[in-house]
Amino acid sequence: MKVDYVLPFVEACVTVIQTMAGLTPERGQLSARPQMFTSQQLNIVCGITGQIEGQVIYGMSIQTAEKIASKMLGTAVTTFDQLAASAIAELGNMVSGNSMTLMAGKGFTCDITPPTIVKGTNVKISTLDIPALVIPMAVADLGSLEINVSLQERRARAA
Amino acid sequence: MAKRILITDDALFMRVTLKNILTQNGFEVCGEASNGVEAVKLYSELKPDLVTMDITMPEMDGLEALKQIRSSDPNAVIVMCTAMGQKNMVVEAIQSGAKDFIVKPFQPDRVLEAVNKLLAA
Repeated sequence: MKVDYVLPFVEACVTVIQTMAGLTPERGQLSARPQMFTSQQLNIVCGITGQIEGQVIYGMSIQTAEKIASKMLGTAVTTFDQLAASAIAELGNMVSGNSMTLMAGKGFTCDITPPTIVKGTNVKISTLDIPALVIPMAVADLGSLEINVSLQERRARAA
Repeated sequence: MAKRILITDDALFMRVTLKNILTQNGFEVCGEASNGVEAVKLYSELKPDLVTMDITMPEMDGLEALKQIRSSDPNAVIVMCTAMGQKNMVVEAIQSGAKDFIVKPFQPDRVLEAVNKLLAA
């Protein structure tokens, strides 16, 4: 998988968190991920379709999710209810959507699917035959969010 | 009388956020749709003054809902409000009759500016 596919997500993540939470995430070290990995406590799964396809999974702890949701809602989230889940899902949707705009600038036309939230510890996630690259984003006071990008060009599969 | 707005977004969070912005500034949110099918149905029932329309939604996406609403009411005022800002989406939406295109994440002022401009009459 190309590192080029990861950078738009990093850029979009910075833009979205700056706008929604008023904080600037710090990018960590990029690494490869085995095809089967253990999820974080809370994961937002977004499908990407089009010239580039696959999944992007945003993983974080429940504590971080609650803090981000509190910032987005402007009120303290103490129980992770439907509204908080929706805020976190929308965060994934906005980062993915903004990334697709940046991808379009590089000549790739893609669309995103509505996000799904997977919550629970020790959940195994597999991106099947598309290897994933992971990039941690640290946000002061909120915690860490990791972006798992598992994408490939559509024609690569047909070949 | 307050202008009536129909909000369309699959995310509860976004519906609540938009509703707060609009109601705090004197607009009435007359309905909330969570997908394109609901938006088309609620539009014909409620005849709102303006519709906010997300694009990425289950059942029917916002571009299809935009086209269906505009074909039944060519005067419908619809503002797209979506995380997808690429040129082809914007062009398709505007060509299909959308009056404005707001990219998420947005500041409340951006929404109010669009709505005020379109409903100033």
